[in-house]
Amino acid sequence: MGGLLEWKVRVPDKPMKDRLYFDGLKANVIDTGLCSRCLTCACICPVDGIRVVDDKVDFPDREERCRDCGACIRVCPRFDYRPKYGMGDYLEFTAARSKRFSGQDGGMVTEIMISAIEMGMIDRGLFVGRDERWRPQVFHLHDSSQLEVGTLSGTKYTFATVLKELKKAVLLTRNGVGVVGTPCIVSGVRKLQMEFPLFRDRVRLVIGLFCTENFHYDELMRFLEKKGIKPEMLIKTDITKGRFIATMVDGEVKFKVKELEEILPSGCSVCTDFTAVESDVSVGSVGSEPGFSTVVVRGKSAEEVIAYIREKGYAEFGEGDPGQLDFLIDYKVGRFYVKTKDDKD
Amino acid sequence: MRKVVAPDYTVFEHVKRHAEAVKTAIREAIIPESVTCSYPKERRKMPASFRGYLIFDPDRCISCFGCAFICPANAIRMKEAEDGRYYPTIDYGKCIFCHFCLDSCPEGALKPTKIHDVAYRDLDRMLTLTEEMIEPPEIIREDKRYVEYVIDGRDLHLRRVDGEDELLVDLPPPSKVERIVSCIDPESCTGCRICEEVCEHGVIRSSVEEDGVRMVIDSERCTGCGLCVKECSMRVLRLVRR
Amino acid sequence: MTGTVEALINLMMADQVAIPLLDPILNILYGIPLLGHLLALILWKPLFAALICPGFATLGGLLMLLPWIERKLVARIQWRIGPHEILPRMGGVIQLLADSLRFLFQEVIVHRDAKQPYFLQFPVLSFIPALLPLLFIPAGTIIAIESPYGAQIVLAMVTLFPLFILGLGWASNSRFAYIGTVREAFVYFGYEIALIVSAFAMIVLYGTSDPLAISGMQQVPGIILNPVAALAFFIASAMATSRLPFEIPEADQELAGGPHVEYSGILFGLIYVISYEKVYILSGLMTLLFLGGGSGPEIRVLGDLSGLIWFILKTLLVMIALIALRAIYPRYRLDQALRIGWNPVFTLSTIAVGVSLMEVLLL
Repeated sequence: MGGLLEWKVRVPDKPMKDRLYFDGLKANVIDTGLCSRCLTCACICPVDGIRVVDDKVDFPDREERCRDCGACIRVCPRFDYRPKYGMGDYLEFTAARSKRFSGQDGGMVTEIMISAIEMGMIDRGLFVGRDERWRPQVFHLHDSSQLEVGTLSGTKYTFATVLKELKKAVLLTRNGVGVVGTPCIVSGVRKLQMEFPLFRDRVRLVIGLFCTENFHYDELMRFLEKKGIKPEMLIKTDITKGRFIATMVDGEVKFKVKELEEILPSGCSVCTDFTAVESDVSVGSVGSEPGFSTVVVRGKSAEEVIAYIREKGYAEFGEGDPGQLDFLIDYKVGRFYVKTKDDKD
Repeated sequence: MRKVVAPDYTVFEHVKRHAEAVKTAIREAIIPESVTCSYPKERRKMPASFRGYLIFDPDRCISCFGCAFICPANAIRMKEAEDGRYYPTIDYGKCIFCHFCLDSCPEGALKPTKIHDVAYRDLDRMLTLTEEMIEPPEIIREDKRYVEYVIDGRDLHLRRVDGEDELLVDLPPPSKVERIVSCIDPESCTGCRICEEVCEHGVIRSSVEEDGVRMVIDSERCTGCGLCVKECSMRVLRLVRR
Repeated sequence: MTGTVEALINLMMADQVAIPLLDPILNILYGIPLLGHLLALILWKPLFAALICPGFATLGGLLMLLPWIERKLVARIQWRIGPHEILPRMGGVIQLLADSLRFLFQEVIVHRDAKQPYFLQFPVLSFIPALLPLLFIPAGTIIAIESPYGAQIVLAMVTLFPLFILGLGWASNSRFAYIGTVREAFVYFGYEIALIVSAFAMIVLYGTSDPLAISGMQQVPGIILNPVAALAFFIASAMATSRLPFEIPEADQELAGGPHVEYSGILFGLIYVISYEKVYILSGLMTLLFLGGGSGPEIRVLGDLSGLIWFILKTLLVMIALIALRAIYPRYRLDQALRIGWNPVFTLSTIAVGVSLMEVLLL
């Protein structure tokens, strides 16, 4: 071996001439309110410079550290935004309840992830847990024994930095990586896979969650405190049938979801994807009876996992009703709202 | 099973052997030709490739951490210097003098010496800082002669030579398996050009073209130090045999 | 009363050791009443021989010196250093002093099975054949008891040594002592005849066993006159004194000491001393018979002392030769030692007799 080895890295044109690529991203996505805080840009950044500062995605020391490689723009799902909507293609629409795990509804996200690990399809999954104050924490799931510690499953309704852990997982993995996330995260992963073969080969399972919106942690906690909900007392949070239900140690507090509109992040308001149409499998609570999770199988890898679960009898399957999703799908499309320069705040 | 018997000597041979023994005894009684090297007055002459303490040349160091990674005893720790680069410090309490670090240094920043008998007042001083490694370690030399062992026929003799044994050696660099860098997945390259920045020899070059960045690896100049492999953000660079 | 004292003094004055060098001082000292008598007493030849040379004083000095010489010399040949701790500047010369002090203060353990009172008596008793021959060996012209059968008497006493060793072992009443004693008995049979016959060869050669006469006769030393006898006698005395390669009864690595194993403290000190005394006696005998005991260029000023000094030097030489064997040879097996005692050495001694006879007839 010797001589020259060449290759070409295709980078899009700079949005802002004579400025860094990140400046262009900031101007086009972050400052316009399109940013969904999926952190796909943070995932790919070679110097790990992009992070969330004051509930906003930023690269604080970019003048010194940014390599100006343009990778952040290449993978951002909101740069060159083509909104996804509707039910999407699927192979199977069903409802299931895990016999092994308990979660928000039927614990199917956990079941699918663990089954995929057992099948050998993946050797680690990126999971979101939480601490006692309901602050989300991302961790690498290798083994079901990790789930016995602490409270892990259950919807958190706040942003978690799932994709920031993805690069490390992809570089360390042998078999493959599984990711669970909201539709924006799923879009980010798909764009990563389109741009970089490394992610295409190694991210084997993408689980999407039904999502209407997510919230910034501090804002949500402040709101809940005003409602008299203390995070340490919370056992479960649920948004169902237009109401936010906070189950606490000493009772329940309910209020209309509409009240949360004042803290709705701008990135969520431009999102139209309720069912995570780009995922391998989508899981949510709408479309199945209480205690069951709706499972929408879209991709081949998910099909294999569900077949495995069926074969092993790890979950109880029921009837899913696609019709129940129509309302929320339409609601989210209708909510699409982009702040333009003309709007006054 | 063979029976062991005393050899059958004639009387004359017996007498000769006895005489031989007595002669040896008398000779040793007068001048014992012992093969003990009376250190510290004499020093044994070691071959030039004797593995002793190391001398470090910071100008050649590229902070590739190769020595720290390969040290089997974990004796090398890299410490940050004022210029932001990392240089090795060796804990001679742990060092086993295998010279793997010397062999693995792609730039030849570590050099050998024959010094092996450095004394320390306490264990903490055995952690040698980078500044202390630039000059050979201080030893007190009391030797006026050096000693060589010579085997002739069936006898081992000690030959004493006047003069001091030179402890600083000039050896040719060790021969190594030549390795060069190669990109195993160019499509996953982000074009961040960190590899270009860390390479000390200009092996990886980038050039901006209208629709992207062209990366070129010129393996002729590659020393196989592995810095770019370590720093690549997508880990698509590997070292392969030349 | 004064008459007898006078007579005694006259007797003593008649037979004084003559030292021309010290004559002036002695003359003055003789004048002083009590001191003069004491001096006369000491310098009376028999007493001088018994007390000083070749008696206690020399014996004591050599005993102090000899083990040290042995250890240092053997160490040098074996590329070691030898005694080094006590007084390193002087090479650990007073090592033996330290050892004797240790023996003095060490506890004497008398075990239950020991045969009392023999256990305690034998070490002391064994001094008898060790010390008595000193009276008969001359150092130059100084001799304690002058007798025409001096050499034979010494020889006879020497043959008594092993009996007391056997006694030691027997009184110890223990396994290792038993094995060592039995071996000693075997070895005794091996060398005794050879020793006596080779000494006998020399006596035949000289025609007399008067020690003074023998030393006088040796213009040509006996070793040249009859080297075969010298060799046989040397080997036999090596066996007699348990010097390597014949250190069979003791055999430290096999027997932990043989007949000496049960003794500790001052008793062991006595036994230790006895073994070197044996070396002294036999070396003295060898000097007398073969090296001309006491003869040598006379140093006028010292008078009688010159012969003494030559005697000591020659004995020292023989002792060192006996001792250096330790560095050269490994230990023989019992059967090998016996075979040696009866085959080569006995043959040699018989040949020695033959040679002596021939020389007597021819010269």
